[in-house]
Amino acid sequence: MDIKVAVQAAPFSMDYGYSDALVGRSDIGAVVSFTGLVRDFNETPDVTGLTLEHYPGMTERTLTEIGEQACQRWSLQAVRIIHRVGYLGPGDPIVRVLVASAHRREAFEACDFIMDFLKTQAPFWKKEHSTQGEYWVKERHSDQQDAARWE
Amino acid sequence: MHLTHLNTRGEANMVDVGDKQETRREAVASGRIVMLPETLTLLSEGGLPKGDVLATARIAGIQAAKRTHELIPLCHALALSKVSVEFEIDIAESCVHVTSLCRLNGRTGVEMEALTAVSVACLTLYDMCKAVDKGMHIEAIQLDSKQGGQRGDYQRVNRQSPIVTGEGTSGEVSLGERCPSPCVRVKFLAELRERVGESEATVGLDQLASRDISGLKEALAERDDRFKLLTDQRTLCAINQVMANDDALVTDDDEVAFFPPVTGG
Repeated sequence: MDIKVAVQAAPFSMDYGYSDALVGRSDIGAVVSFTGLVRDFNETPDVTGLTLEHYPGMTERTLTEIGEQACQRWSLQAVRIIHRVGYLGPGDPIVRVLVASAHRREAFEACDFIMDFLKTQAPFWKKEHSTQGEYWVKERHSDQQDAARWE
Repeated sequence: MHLTHLNTRGEANMVDVGDKQETRREAVASGRIVMLPETLTLLSEGGLPKGDVLATARIAGIQAAKRTHELIPLCHALALSKVSVEFEIDIAESCVHVTSLCRLNGRTGVEMEALTAVSVACLTLYDMCKAVDKGMHIEAIQLDSKQGGQRGDYQRVNRQSPIVTGEGTSGEVSLGERCPSPCVRVKFLAELRERVGESEATVGLDQLASRDISGLKEALAERDDRFKLLTDQRTLCAINQVMANDDALVTDDDEVAFFPPVTGG
């Protein structure tokens, strides 16, 4: 299983993981990636930024386990997961998941699966800063439902 | 306590086992070989020039166990009833874990056989992979457990220190000190940290009515009303960074973290 995960405060590029996962390989037929960005509206209309906290150690382990579960469900050639922590401004990339597979369907589904489980299992917490003050983001019931689809 | 392979004059000698009772003996040993991630990928995908690495190393380990008496001077030749050698590829640690189990009905223990099997399996892995990676190293070859024999059973105590994190600030948590007397180290993360007003607490094991998570919550709630928040159904818990429920047991030096539902991504 070719899985790499990273949790870092530094920004990452919008094509993170792409060349690393594909270098020297010709058995990959499909690459699907998802990049999540900070919106300037969420629980309040004027979000000025957010601070991401995590639980070092457990975070990396959880992300790796999610990648491994995806590899067990689908035939995947590579999985890359990167997530930022610390302060982020509107428009900044927060998370990126890249999945490489022989065929597109597996890559699409695995990428979707990894994001659903990352959002409901990986120990990250968002605190939003807005013009009205700062508050911790509440979990969403819809995220739980999304993750439950895979059971 | 004395060394059984030395006689009263301090000379090496083989122990006479003729009068010992025949019992069922079993020993498990383990070790690992650490290599570059690229080497591990080649190994797991069968891309190495010498072919099927794990199958070869398994046979080598089994053969070695049977010939332990030829290698270790004072070992008896044993008719082993079972030898197994197993491999586990560990991508996170970039290594192969090797485990061997040896068994027989006899008068002498089989730990040397299990240790020899692990050692030779590791050496064979090195030989099979050295064309692409000369920096590999073999480590932590050890007896994990043994059963049978007059000295009784042995089980290795896991001495790996638990994960202890210290002062939690927004964004990250750092490594901290271990506690002096038996205790559980508790962390409060994210919104929960702000609501209880503390990032960590230490609770002595003797303060727990039951040595599990619900006992820990009770002990904290007795200490201060703020900790009643922990019994909120939304509050999640992890022991040594693995998710746990109220029934999960806690032991000395465990790190227990309480936190709200996650909101990453």
